[in-house]
Amino acid sequence: MNLDFTPEEQAFREEARTWLAEHLPTEERPPDGQPMREFDLAWQKTLFEGGWAGINWPKEYGGRGLNDIQQMIWYEEFARADPPFTLNNSCTFVGNNHGGPTLIVSGTDEQKSFHLPKILQGDVVWCQGFSEPGAGSDLGSLSCKAVIDGDELVVNGQKIWTSYAHVADFQELLVRTDPSAPKHKGISWVICDMTTPGIEIREITTMSHVNDFCEVFYDDVRIPLSNVVGQVNDGWRVTMTTLSFERGTAFMADQVELAAVVERLIEEAKVRTGPDGKRPAIADDEIARRLSLARAEVAALKAMTIAGISRTQRTGVPGPEGSMTRLFHGELHQRVYQLGLDIIGPEALRLTPVDGNGWTGPYLQSFAYTIGGGTTDIQRNIVGERVLGLPRVK
Amino acid sequence: MDLLPTPEQEEIVTSIASVIAGNHTTGEPLTDALWEAAAAQGWFGLGLEEALGGVGYSLAEEVLLFTELGRAAVPGPFLATVLASRLAAEAGEADLTQQLISGSDRVGLAERWDDDRFSVLDADGATMALIVDGERVTLVDLGGVALDSIPSFDTLVPVSLAIDLHESPALATAPDGPALLRRGALLSAALLAGIAKATTDQSVCYGIDREQFGQPVGGFQAVKHRCADMATRAEVAACQVLYAALAERDGRPDAEFHVHAARVVAARAAVENSQINVQNHGGIGFTWEHTAHRYVTRSRVYASVLGTTHTHLGATLAATAPQ
Repeated sequence: MNLDFTPEEQAFREEARTWLAEHLPTEERPPDGQPMREFDLAWQKTLFEGGWAGINWPKEYGGRGLNDIQQMIWYEEFARADPPFTLNNSCTFVGNNHGGPTLIVSGTDEQKSFHLPKILQGDVVWCQGFSEPGAGSDLGSLSCKAVIDGDELVVNGQKIWTSYAHVADFQELLVRTDPSAPKHKGISWVICDMTTPGIEIREITTMSHVNDFCEVFYDDVRIPLSNVVGQVNDGWRVTMTTLSFERGTAFMADQVELAAVVERLIEEAKVRTGPDGKRPAIADDEIARRLSLARAEVAALKAMTIAGISRTQRTGVPGPEGSMTRLFHGELHQRVYQLGLDIIGPEALRLTPVDGNGWTGPYLQSFAYTIGGGTTDIQRNIVGERVLGLPRVK
Repeated sequence: MDLLPTPEQEEIVTSIASVIAGNHTTGEPLTDALWEAAAAQGWFGLGLEEALGGVGYSLAEEVLLFTELGRAAVPGPFLATVLASRLAAEAGEADLTQQLISGSDRVGLAERWDDDRFSVLDADGATMALIVDGERVTLVDLGGVALDSIPSFDTLVPVSLAIDLHESPALATAPDGPALLRRGALLSAALLAGIAKATTDQSVCYGIDREQFGQPVGGFQAVKHRCADMATRAEVAACQVLYAALAERDGRPDAEFHVHAARVVAARAAVENSQINVQNHGGIGFTWEHTAHRYVTRSRVYASVLGTTHTHLGATLAATAPQ
């Protein structure tokens, strides 16, 4: 047990801080469409050229092959640099944290050599094709169908809640390839080229005024069988690998950034007029108490994140305990922005962008934190069943 | 950076747990056998430097000890006695330090009750009291002090009231009161983190064993999700307590903040988990026979010593920002 950084980790921090000071974009991220895609890819390209893409990806796949502690240091330095956008709110998220890591674990050599460099270099956008109108929390019941025809899969069906589908080049797509098998046995994980004929994308506007939440329709979409990752009908296992990354380090950036948000909120509370209309907000007992608790809880979240890294370093794979971190983080994130709205007074009437240092846009976006990537109800099931060993839901 | 116990620390925890299990039953009073075993194991000087007569481990191992004591709901004056041996050592009282490490004396914990009186926890059988008065911490002889015992909320933690206790001659005074109090607050947080874990385990066991409607009740999401929340609170508390222990041990500039934060999240976890644990057990959880109520009252006792959740929250905001 120690809190010390190694000399290499310390040097890595210095290097990151210096580089970020010189390369961090100062302009705001465009909120939608092609300008947003170009902004996100340009930043990914800048990261790649600076040697900061795929920090914890293995070196053989173009990453830096560094450990999760260094990944965390990078996120800390990014947050400290006071960026005009958040790291995970990017159309490069799925490629970096989902698609890429899944290919590294389960892809063929051809799949890896074709896709991984493009993801790291910022040439392509990946999106996720998991949820369907009838398969949300019960992902295993998905029904988007794929039939083998020669050396191709023919896909028919629908996906939903596909962030950035409208600007994506590739999709990690889950399809049912064996309708007669038990529900978790007949699924395949395939790479879908989003320019394939027969794909129709409709944008869905979210409560936070963002249009990147899409539904995707497939009408006889032909995908080469060579795009299947893992084996046909083995997609559930491949998916679980992907989701373990999500429980592991994919949300570490958000967790680290939240600590900076709380410090910023404390500063806001010193300058905003409080509920009595006279004193600063921080002089109000209730607000001060909620701020204190938020500060204590984000510290504990960091300790939990470090404990998770320590555990992964010993076992090699992120365990189900990560669901406790996800659960705690999602709800804490929401409480922080709820508190934000209570502190800023009449400014709460002004809509601010989802990105950036405003409070109302991020507040509206915070509702996603207990829904996306498995709702908090699903996280509680995972904690109950896989961490605590309680009986499974019948 | 690593926040999990090392193999050596895991062995220490296993050994502590087996000493407790061999000499104590949750819900029962402290046995002389456990107190003597604790002394023999060096628990009263566990985190004290060898040069000062201690075992030579650090605050991290002391936190692991107190987490186990909390988990098994071990009553008795462990907290004040461990703090007293450190106080004596830091005050240069070598003989007194050895006396305390040997377990020959038990030390009650005295704090302000009102303007005139002090409350003393665990005064029964104690020969000394650790008096906390603001930032001043002193060790006094209890001989000849008039103690007026009151019915105690936790029947295994006796409470007495004493007038003019601070006028008793001091055996030793802490050279650095605030540092000793930070240590005490963190050890109380460890006791609370242990309670948060124990109550989670009790609820999970019951959720697996108890059947209703033809299935274990832990299969119902209403129960399962409460257990998941308990486990999460316990994990949050345990991680922050360990982080704070290392920050304080290493003298980091944000150590004070982390200790207050640890006490806040641990107290909330223990109080909430112990309450929900009763609910999860239904009728049997409401009985005297079951040990669930022990954690309910014990968590309130620990959350009220060496500051309250309210004062630690305030200090969390006032402290130097976490690094």
